[in-house]
Amino acid sequence: MKLKVCGMKYQDNIERVAALQPDYLGFIFYEKTPRHFDTKIPEISENIKKVGVFVNAEIATIVEKINEFKLDAVQLHGEESPYFCSILRSTSLVSRPIELIKVFSVKDGFNFEVLDQYENVCDYYLFDTKGKLPGGNGYTFDWSLLNDYPSTKPFFLSGGIGLDQIDDIKNFKASNASKYCYAIDVNSKFETEPGLKNTSILREFINKLNDKKTMNYNVDEKGYYGEFGGAFIPEMLYPNVEELRQNYLKVMAEPDFQKEFDQLLKDYVGRPSPLYFAKRLSEKYNAKIYLKREDLNHTGAHKINNTIGQILMAKRLGKTRIIAETGAGQHGVATATVCALMGLECIVYMGEIDIARQAPNVARMKMLGATVVPALSGSRTLKDATNEAIRDWINNPVNTHYIIGSAIGPHPYPDMVTRFQAVISEEIKWQLREQEGRENPDYVVACIGGGSNAAGTYYHYLHEPDVGIIAVEAAGLGIDSGESAATSVLGKEGIIHGCKTLLMQTKDGQITEPYSISAGLDYPGVGPMHAHLSKTGRAEFMSITDSDAMEAGLELSKLEGIIPAIETSHALAIFGKKAFKPDDVVVVSLSGRGDKDLQNYIEYFKI
Amino acid sequence: MNRINQKLQEDKKLLSIYFTAGYPNIDDTTSIIQDLEKNGVDMIEIGLPFSDPLADGPTIQDSSTTALKNGMTTEVLFNQLKDIRKTVNIPLIIMGYFNPMFQYGVEAFCKKCQELGIDGLIIPDLPVDVYHEEYQTIFEKYGLINVFLITPQTSDERIRYIDSISNGFIYMVSSASTTGTQSGFGDEQTAYFERIAKMNLKNPQVIGFGISNNETFTQATKYAKGAIIGSAFVKHVTNHGVNTINEFVENIKN
Repeated sequence: MKLKVCGMKYQDNIERVAALQPDYLGFIFYEKTPRHFDTKIPEISENIKKVGVFVNAEIATIVEKINEFKLDAVQLHGEESPYFCSILRSTSLVSRPIELIKVFSVKDGFNFEVLDQYENVCDYYLFDTKGKLPGGNGYTFDWSLLNDYPSTKPFFLSGGIGLDQIDDIKNFKASNASKYCYAIDVNSKFETEPGLKNTSILREFINKLNDKKTMNYNVDEKGYYGEFGGAFIPEMLYPNVEELRQNYLKVMAEPDFQKEFDQLLKDYVGRPSPLYFAKRLSEKYNAKIYLKREDLNHTGAHKINNTIGQILMAKRLGKTRIIAETGAGQHGVATATVCALMGLECIVYMGEIDIARQAPNVARMKMLGATVVPALSGSRTLKDATNEAIRDWINNPVNTHYIIGSAIGPHPYPDMVTRFQAVISEEIKWQLREQEGRENPDYVVACIGGGSNAAGTYYHYLHEPDVGIIAVEAAGLGIDSGESAATSVLGKEGIIHGCKTLLMQTKDGQITEPYSISAGLDYPGVGPMHAHLSKTGRAEFMSITDSDAMEAGLELSKLEGIIPAIETSHALAIFGKKAFKPDDVVVVSLSGRGDKDLQNYIEYFKI
Repeated sequence: MNRINQKLQEDKKLLSIYFTAGYPNIDDTTSIIQDLEKNGVDMIEIGLPFSDPLADGPTIQDSSTTALKNGMTTEVLFNQLKDIRKTVNIPLIIMGYFNPMFQYGVEAFCKKCQELGIDGLIIPDLPVDVYHEEYQTIFEKYGLINVFLITPQTSDERIRYIDSISNGFIYMVSSASTTGTQSGFGDEQTAYFERIAKMNLKNPQVIGFGISNNETFTQATKYAKGAIIGSAFVKHVTNHGVNTINEFVENIKN
């Protein structure tokens, strides 16, 4: 059975409710109700149909609203005649096909003969409780009346449905009366005030109603997140990737793997990383801001969570040679580190231009025993380093494992990397419970290049609709400047490095070179999970310019005594841009420390 | 019958040449095709350049980068090929990566290929299972043969699967490598060629990667219906220009 949530009013609330993935959202265009809708509808998933509810309105008014709000359906709640319905259905003034729902109010009894005239002029009926108001009265009618329903037209069941009716609904579903029941319509029983829905009660209702029906934000069995992901790889890579696909979940589930992974995270990486309440930052922005201190990990960023996981995976698959790509050198260092730890040969591909820009990290990798190979092709930066690493793997298919550094690449990489990074949100859950008495913050925030620290920060909150997800991309010199890395805005669906995702490219499908002051965010694509979160509206994507990020980095240094990586500074910069409520708990992934960026900060601020 | 199938029925070993469209100069496309046919080449792969050609080595990547700088696009290539069938009769295959085709629209791309008289496509990063589930009917609707690659690491079971989906020839990658990185074939490759030959596949095989001269061409075609030369030809064009294509082809044949 489908679900309609009616009487939506507030932008923020609409987004939160939309994240629960109901099938319909209702907007009431009737001035006499406190739920009268008079603002804008934010961007929501295309899978959710927008219903305009009208009470004896003029055709012209209805048409205007359909076109203005791109409504998918119209619900007529007054005494609209069959003729009125047929005119509305056939008018050419409407820019898009609409579904027509005619409402009938039921009290002690109902004369179903009324329906006859409407059989051919509407798509659905809706049965509501008859009361003082046209809808929103807050109590149910006797659903057993529907045993006498003579039609085969699908109908919506409405009127005072709340969490208390779950058992009644289940009984109804099991009875003959529900044979043509198409959807449940809810409204006032889920409100804290008229038009403002309580998402946690609504979520509980949805879970109970469907024995847990939720949108899946995890990878499916074919390697896709919605329409994104997959494995678009040349046949030469198939055996390597297939070997990994068949084994990664099995290996990760082995108790001795788990044990070794956990042990290394604890003793070698230094986990759990603290969840730090940033008091002065919170005071300044009037919200409760927590920082998840991934910058305190060994090697200075979240990257090592993944390389520890993958090196253990590689060993269990019998690989003796490790390759990796790196942009700024952070993933390269993290990979060289674990290779030294395990005594495995390590080759890191790095764009020739990046090698020149990131000399300290090149030196680190070399000290750790890795061979750094310059990528000389194309634009000689991260994307070309990735190409070279993939070519190396093609040429060395048997003994080599490729440690991809972000939640990108062909399936199973995005999922595997996400699972290794998921330790971040796992810790946030118990740490927040200790400090705030609850596991779920109001928001989790992370910067996104390919998106591995973000994937880990979101992972355990993906299916918690009351947790807002904020993804921060690098706008570079500005979205429209031509020098940007804001993939969710500038990218189109395409294929890069083996997966289908959002991708910055020319009209002709050539991959373009992104720009950001932060070397870790200038990737032309974004992990397929994030593309899905963007497309479905589950995550809110923001973009932050170089200058705003740099200022935020300096601000955190001065307010909290923490110098963040420039990547991380992007996530921190949202506090100037987005308003939070004073009691909102906002957890930001402090993904890396700023040591590597000192030269950049010095030059930028003339320190 | 598709020109590729016709050609495969001929009683001879086939020489197929790859070149990058738009390289060395943007307008070389049609003259290269005509010259190759005139000099007795049996089949041509026209490379649609891509910014990130994962399966190619430096030679083809560099030629692709130059071609893109020269202004080559899908649209430009299609324009250049609009009268190609007035002068050229041998099979023409477009070889390129999936993203440019995906952006053009897979169906629109296939339709255009049919209009121009293109006979087949080779798309290294479109896996056989995705093709089978999503695109096969479109390719077939426009009479296009899609050619899949196999490598020494491809399992027999998967080779059988690829064979069942193919309706032209199978592109045998000679070794675990990107293009243009091999010189000569050793025992390992010979064993692989023999193994595949013994499988009695429905589709004939054409060997590519590592063919650069008469010796490697002869070695490869001992086991397969034909051989494809890419990087060596692109190198020849780089070093000697487009006016000595006859010399290149003669060297391969003798």
